[in-house]
Amino acid sequence: MLRNFSFAALFAVLAPVTQATEFTWSSTTDPQTMDPHAVNSAPVLGFLNNVYEGLVRRGPDMAIEPALATSWEAIGEGAGWRFNLRRDVTFHDGAEFTAQDVLFSYERAASDAADTSSWFAPVSEVILVDDFTVDFMTTAPNPIFPDSIANWMIMDSDWAVANDATRPDKERGNHATLHANGTGAFAITSREPGLRTVLEPHAGWWGAATHNITRAEFTPIQNPATAIAALLSGEVDFINPVPVQDVARLQQDANIRVIQGIEARVIMLGFPHEAEALKYSAETPDANPFTDPRVRRAVAHAINVPAILQTTMRGNAEAVNQLVSPAMRGYSDALAGQPPYDPDAARALLAEAGYPDGFSFGFKCPNDRYLNDEAVCQAITAMLSQVGMRATLDAMPVQTYWPELRADNYDMYLLGWSPGTFDAEHPIRFLAATPNAEKRLGSWNFGGYSNARVDELLPMIQSEIDEPARQAMLDEVAQILQRDTAYVPLYVQPLVWGTRAHIDLVQRPDNFFILRWVSLN
Amino acid sequence: MLAFIIRRVLQSALVLLIVGLTAFSMFRFIGDPIDNMLGQERTAMDIERLREQLGLDQSFPVQYYRFLQEAVQGNFGVSYRQGRPVAEILLERAPATLELAAVSGILAIAFGIAFGVFTAIRRNGFTANFIMSASLIGVSLPTFLIGILLIYIFSVELGWLPSFGRGEVVQIGNWSTGLLTSSGLKALILPSITLGLYQMTLIMRLVRSEMLEVLRQDYIRFARARGLRDRAIHFRHALKNTMVPVITVIGLQLGAIIAFAIITETVFQWPGVGLLFINAVQFVDIPVMAAYLMLISVMFVAINLIVDILYFFIDPRLRVDRAGGH
Repeated sequence: MLRNFSFAALFAVLAPVTQATEFTWSSTTDPQTMDPHAVNSAPVLGFLNNVYEGLVRRGPDMAIEPALATSWEAIGEGAGWRFNLRRDVTFHDGAEFTAQDVLFSYERAASDAADTSSWFAPVSEVILVDDFTVDFMTTAPNPIFPDSIANWMIMDSDWAVANDATRPDKERGNHATLHANGTGAFAITSREPGLRTVLEPHAGWWGAATHNITRAEFTPIQNPATAIAALLSGEVDFINPVPVQDVARLQQDANIRVIQGIEARVIMLGFPHEAEALKYSAETPDANPFTDPRVRRAVAHAINVPAILQTTMRGNAEAVNQLVSPAMRGYSDALAGQPPYDPDAARALLAEAGYPDGFSFGFKCPNDRYLNDEAVCQAITAMLSQVGMRATLDAMPVQTYWPELRADNYDMYLLGWSPGTFDAEHPIRFLAATPNAEKRLGSWNFGGYSNARVDELLPMIQSEIDEPARQAMLDEVAQILQRDTAYVPLYVQPLVWGTRAHIDLVQRPDNFFILRWVSLN
Repeated sequence: MLAFIIRRVLQSALVLLIVGLTAFSMFRFIGDPIDNMLGQERTAMDIERLREQLGLDQSFPVQYYRFLQEAVQGNFGVSYRQGRPVAEILLERAPATLELAAVSGILAIAFGIAFGVFTAIRRNGFTANFIMSASLIGVSLPTFLIGILLIYIFSVELGWLPSFGRGEVVQIGNWSTGLLTSSGLKALILPSITLGLYQMTLIMRLVRSEMLEVLRQDYIRFARARGLRDRAIHFRHALKNTMVPVITVIGLQLGAIIAFAIITETVFQWPGVGLLFINAVQFVDIPVMAAYLMLISVMFVAINLIVDILYFFIDPRLRVDRAGGH
């Protein structure tokens, strides 16, 4: 910086024209790959959304809008979807974008080697009608197919073949792991994993650029205190996330803006619905109280969610009564609120269920996965003990947490869920459907919750084209899950970003940082 | 002599085997890399498939044996997180750590010896006492806190120095150096102080006590009686004899500096092997963790071996049965 300072000053005096606007930002994790089909995770897909593009994309409010497809329509009574592709689109290396690239990217992203193949489970066939028209045929009518592929990114087939990267390679990596060639507004000019990634505007981008960035640099900074220091000193222009406890301190600084919103992620409690007995109980070793819906409801009554949000989240999060946040498609407005905080009602329900003195059990919780997760679990533990449910909290890092849940080593657990499709169908498929590996259902339904009506409604929801009819079914599922207290939804996780005051940007609920919405004033 | 060296080398190999075994048995408690490698929409089948591909379904002895088999041929496998050969990543990251360690080491030795001699000569002076008290900070404050304090003073409040990273680096062959650019040099200052502070106080206190010990010796008294100047006595006679044990400790601390670099690198987001290791632990990147631990143990074992052999040359009275116990 300093070396260029005198030169820049001279330059400013001689020629007060458009200045180079460099933008630097930081996040806790480095995207582990530049391959858009190798890892289906938010840090990777969020980053690559600036580099690659899909047929459709999401706007600032998550609404689907045209990207590499200019329009799309359902064809043949729910037989599939036709996408009309944008013409005169060039990849970063100058190659032309055609339907061939769409077919190639479909085969690549739907292959076994990819981590994104589940997006294409409903697709039976892809047909190239001509160079700029593609049909996706689905096994059943699929109303949300265009929404579900917003993060499916198109790669140039010739580039992939020439660089021997026709399939993603998670284990050994290939050319696409470190290099990228998309159609997006920014091209990667340098990639040093874990150090820095440099992006520059793609001169041949088809869209009208609204940003004024000439060069953007991303650096991971994993220590929150260091990241805050870098933002305060102006070394970085933007950090994500800002720890909730530092929000007040940053708001006092005139040069910093804190941008807060709610994320797509709902934090909830889960239960062992199928276990014969509790695993970590002293006096109820041969029974599982949580199979009784009254006990699960007692948990919901015993937890004072507003108090948790006030203390642990410093008022930055919103309570929620279902498995998706209000920002999602298919959110059930019709659903009543969560069972209110009412310890007396909780005690009465426990007595009714045959546990007048309560019981002890083990509560598993991650300590590095969600915002302040361990603190939230401690608060929940204290609140439950007020009504006689004596939980032993066992908090652990996420890499040991998931294996524990898979091995059924819990009596109650904490889970956060952010629907990849931003649609209410997603958590039903993964969290509420009876687990079935063949059909790829219920793969995160650790407790084995099972309800025949939910299982019956799910395929109908997936194939209902008529919006009101679909919403009615989603409402019904939300009511069943609430009546059963299948889960206890607690709150929607907050998004807290920090930026220098002279920067305008847009915070999207999926926590994706979109560079082309940034402008430096 | 030869027998001694051969025996020590064999002992070292055994140490490495045991380190590897311990490391591998610990990895099983760190967690499961599978969840980090697969996205949200994975199925039980995907998990099984990947586990099989990585050989994680094998028993622990089999995994360890395979690792050794590859490691002996210099192959440390592929990072789970980055999908690149571990050796390549380590080579990329090593210069940052080695430069940081070298600069910290030089700072620690230079200031440690200077302050040590000063506080020994001016035993009762105000400045010497002040240095001695201040040095307690270096010993007692955790590295992490020192780093954060320095960042807040010099980056946030004063805005003089960068709070993270290495600045601009210059590639020289396979080596990336930050010593040739102003931003690279500025970026080195805070992390090297953070890393070197503890070592500096250690060297300083050691030099001081050795020096005081030497200054009480008869030959110093005779030197004074002969009317030699203070400077000649302090720096020619006393310091020379002070340095023998100090050099030994400095050699052993070299390994500690590289190992301690983990915390400093995490605070300053310094792109060295220490940060790499921390990231690997968080991701359960077994190939990277294993390679790093082996590298560090090879380094320690090598330093010890060299020190032992040097002792052997310096002191012919040493018997094999007394070597190695330090």
